[in-house]
Amino acid sequence: MKKIDRKDFLKIGAGAVVGGVAGYTFSGAPFLGFQWLVEWSQDQYVPAGGVEKYVQAISESCVNGCKVSVRKIGERAVKIESKEGVCPSCLNALQLLYHPERVATPLKRSGEKGSGKFKAVSWDEALKDISAQINKAISEGKANSIAAVNKNESINGLLMEKFVRAVGSNNVYYEPTWKSLTSQALGGYIKYDFAATDYVLSFGAKLIEGWGNPVEMQKVFVDWKKKGVKLVQVDSVCTRTASVANEFVGIKPGSEAALAFGIANYLITEKRMTSTGADFAKWSQIIINKFPLSKVAALTGIAEDKIKKIANDFAQSKNPVAVAGKGAYGMSGSSAEIIAVYCLNTLVKSRAASLVKDSEISYVAEFSGIDKFAKEGNFSILILNNSNPVHNSVYGEELKKKMGKALVVAITPLINDSAAYADYILPTLSFLEVETPQNKAAVIKQNEAKDAKEIIISLASMVEKAKAAMPKQVSDVYNISNKEVAAGSFSFNVDKIKNDIDLYEKKLTDKEYPVTLVPMEVPLVCNGEGLAFPYVLKSIDPTILKLGKFYVQMNKDTAKKYGFSEGSSIKITSARGKIKAYVHLTDTVAPETVAIPLGFGHESYTKYGNDKGVNPKKIMTADIDPLTGIADWWSTRVKIS
Amino acid sequence: MIVKDSKMKRKWGMAIDLDKCTGCGACSLACNQENNMPIFEDDSDVPKRVAFLELMKVTNDRDAKFPDVKTAYLPKMCQQCEGNDTHGHKADPPCVSVCPAVATDVGDDGVVSQIWSRCIGCRYCQTACPYEARVFNWWKPEYEGTFKEGLNPEVSVASRGTIVKCTFCSHIWKRERDKAVAKGILDINAVTYTPACAAACPTGAIVFGDLNDPNSEISKLAKSDRAVRLVNAIDDQPEDKKKALMEKKQYPNPKVYYLTSQKWLRDMMRFKKNS
Repeated sequence: MKKIDRKDFLKIGAGAVVGGVAGYTFSGAPFLGFQWLVEWSQDQYVPAGGVEKYVQAISESCVNGCKVSVRKIGERAVKIESKEGVCPSCLNALQLLYHPERVATPLKRSGEKGSGKFKAVSWDEALKDISAQINKAISEGKANSIAAVNKNESINGLLMEKFVRAVGSNNVYYEPTWKSLTSQALGGYIKYDFAATDYVLSFGAKLIEGWGNPVEMQKVFVDWKKKGVKLVQVDSVCTRTASVANEFVGIKPGSEAALAFGIANYLITEKRMTSTGADFAKWSQIIINKFPLSKVAALTGIAEDKIKKIANDFAQSKNPVAVAGKGAYGMSGSSAEIIAVYCLNTLVKSRAASLVKDSEISYVAEFSGIDKFAKEGNFSILILNNSNPVHNSVYGEELKKKMGKALVVAITPLINDSAAYADYILPTLSFLEVETPQNKAAVIKQNEAKDAKEIIISLASMVEKAKAAMPKQVSDVYNISNKEVAAGSFSFNVDKIKNDIDLYEKKLTDKEYPVTLVPMEVPLVCNGEGLAFPYVLKSIDPTILKLGKFYVQMNKDTAKKYGFSEGSSIKITSARGKIKAYVHLTDTVAPETVAIPLGFGHESYTKYGNDKGVNPKKIMTADIDPLTGIADWWSTRVKIS
Repeated sequence: MIVKDSKMKRKWGMAIDLDKCTGCGACSLACNQENNMPIFEDDSDVPKRVAFLELMKVTNDRDAKFPDVKTAYLPKMCQQCEGNDTHGHKADPPCVSVCPAVATDVGDDGVVSQIWSRCIGCRYCQTACPYEARVFNWWKPEYEGTFKEGLNPEVSVASRGTIVKCTFCSHIWKRERDKAVAKGILDINAVTYTPACAAACPTGAIVFGDLNDPNSEISKLAKSDRAVRLVNAIDDQPEDKKKALMEKKQYPNPKVYYLTSQKWLRDMMRFKKNS
């Protein structure tokens, strides 16, 4: 064997080093090294791993009762999935669950009202103080000065309704939902059987955008396409509903009720159709006298023949249905309009629309609706149950002033425009953290917040008068069964809306304010609730919000007439005030109309929702409807400069 | 179990029925959540917005007047171009052939991959992309406080100065394959999956599947008269002319098909003037 001399030894050593370097290089390890270097030098975040698991959850804060499947990695929830359809806020539940600005503990106001200064207090302290003030009001015989505003008719809303009534107050209000809006006008709310209909005449109702119940409406839309149901959309903005409709009838903004009067007039006088009831007879006389087809054509901008054709098609269908109610999330409509549209249903004897009531919710309160309450009501204690009337009501400013003098309790997961004026903020859990009879909580509690049901029950247990009537523990809440019951025959108070019908024509032809401002809804933003969530901000179209600028949409010819071009600034003035924005030109909006996105302009709604656009409710019409007690804000006469 | 033939048979494609789309935005939300999109206080700087799926609102108001106008929503993501084979070269999407760092490539399943950490940020691919489907991280993706808890560990967080894009949620496919392997299924062609946007669509407008399987729903939809591909002008040509053109010129040849019977929408997607 050859002896290894020094030279050979060095050769072998060098070979090993060269081989090692070559192997290392070609192994790809240096690239991995670069990757580490990049991650290290940029402080790149690496999400923690863990065992994958799917758990189920049901939402109790939305009216759909969305059923979702949550993908979890270890204890973290990373994705919401659903096979049965889910509403936007439930699909976005993770952004609420992990929102950095979620209220973690009960808060007590520590500065001026509205200053946004709060300090953390214990649940005991907060509930004790609130219940003491409620007890005091009751003992002083002022039980009716205790009021509550519910966001919707979910289980939480139902429980709050029960509590306030048990306390001896009838001041329970709901933000305008289809139910709360129509119940006062018609004595029950209209239940639509969209699956049974073959012809839908929509007076600006954004059906496809998720009108009333997004989960149901998406299923209805698929079903309609399959069955070939005819959809006729009457609107002054070309929305997605208008585009998927078999027929889109452009109408002068705010004149939808006039069209309903016109069609009713034609069906009654020409087609000899009739409905029942003394009110109907009276109403039809007013309509026949005041709204002949020629006048309706002038008011709506739709030719007489066209109105006749729509009326004939509607009447000749097997099971037609007419729908009012405007926004998918911003429900609106005057009772004159709601009644007129419902009369169309009774005229053609539609089997797809019936009047029903909820057994546990009466909607009977001191004032007929939330806006009237905000304007005229007086309260010493106000409980906001997940609602945001300061932002959503046209009387938000007035309500703010009244809230300054009362004890305000906000039950909410995030500090919204209304909660900013509260004395106490009681934080609620996301539905993912709540146990239901069907499921365990999907994720463990992230902070000290409590389920809204638990908060209301513990508050009730400290109020002597309410104790007996309220459920003792959360599991008892599920024993309250809210059933749908028939609302009896259709009747309405025609004398109360007569004045409105008389003034209607004048409203549409106001010379001082020649242009009409109408709202438009933005996907996922809903009525403004979505703006606190970054993933919603990511979906906002650049024609609405671009580089921080907020745009309103205007017809090209109208813009030319008033001297606006793409991107120019605009001042919109109504009888109530003025707002500023920028102009986006598009012919998807009717002439002489300005369409303004809804849900923007929050004063306080986390740093993501703040300082984005303007809230048009500030200048929108505030005429309170005589029956619904809700302002008919959808179309507002304005001047632009 | 020994798998004799493990050659990839699949070619993933997507069909989006714009007539069924309500513009609800569920696809966009699901995509953002699934792919760990960065979070910004103000995301209204749209050209610089980091999102894989853009829910475009489109209208024909250039050529029509109210009330004859229409609006539609067009969910736009990476179109997973195939390119076409000219002069016997390997067919490449426009972005792949320009990448100097091999950060983007086409897999044997047809998915155009993008490896964030390999990207050097030259943005050639972003310029080359005919669909503006690639986005650049101008800022470091940050997730304020507890937002970090909702991040998906299967999609790595990109660093500042890199290009990111939709990969047909290929991590979900990997997840499904891993699950199959755990069950003892070693045949790669036995596994299917659904990307986040398709799974979230409430009206079933987004269909995902294998374009190579002639019996799959996607293959049938891709061949339907209603199918149109974004700005792929050659689709209008007769078969023989198409062949001749494809030999001379490069076309993106995307694997995302849009379905619509609306003429204005079809014309708009091909940059044609509305008649």
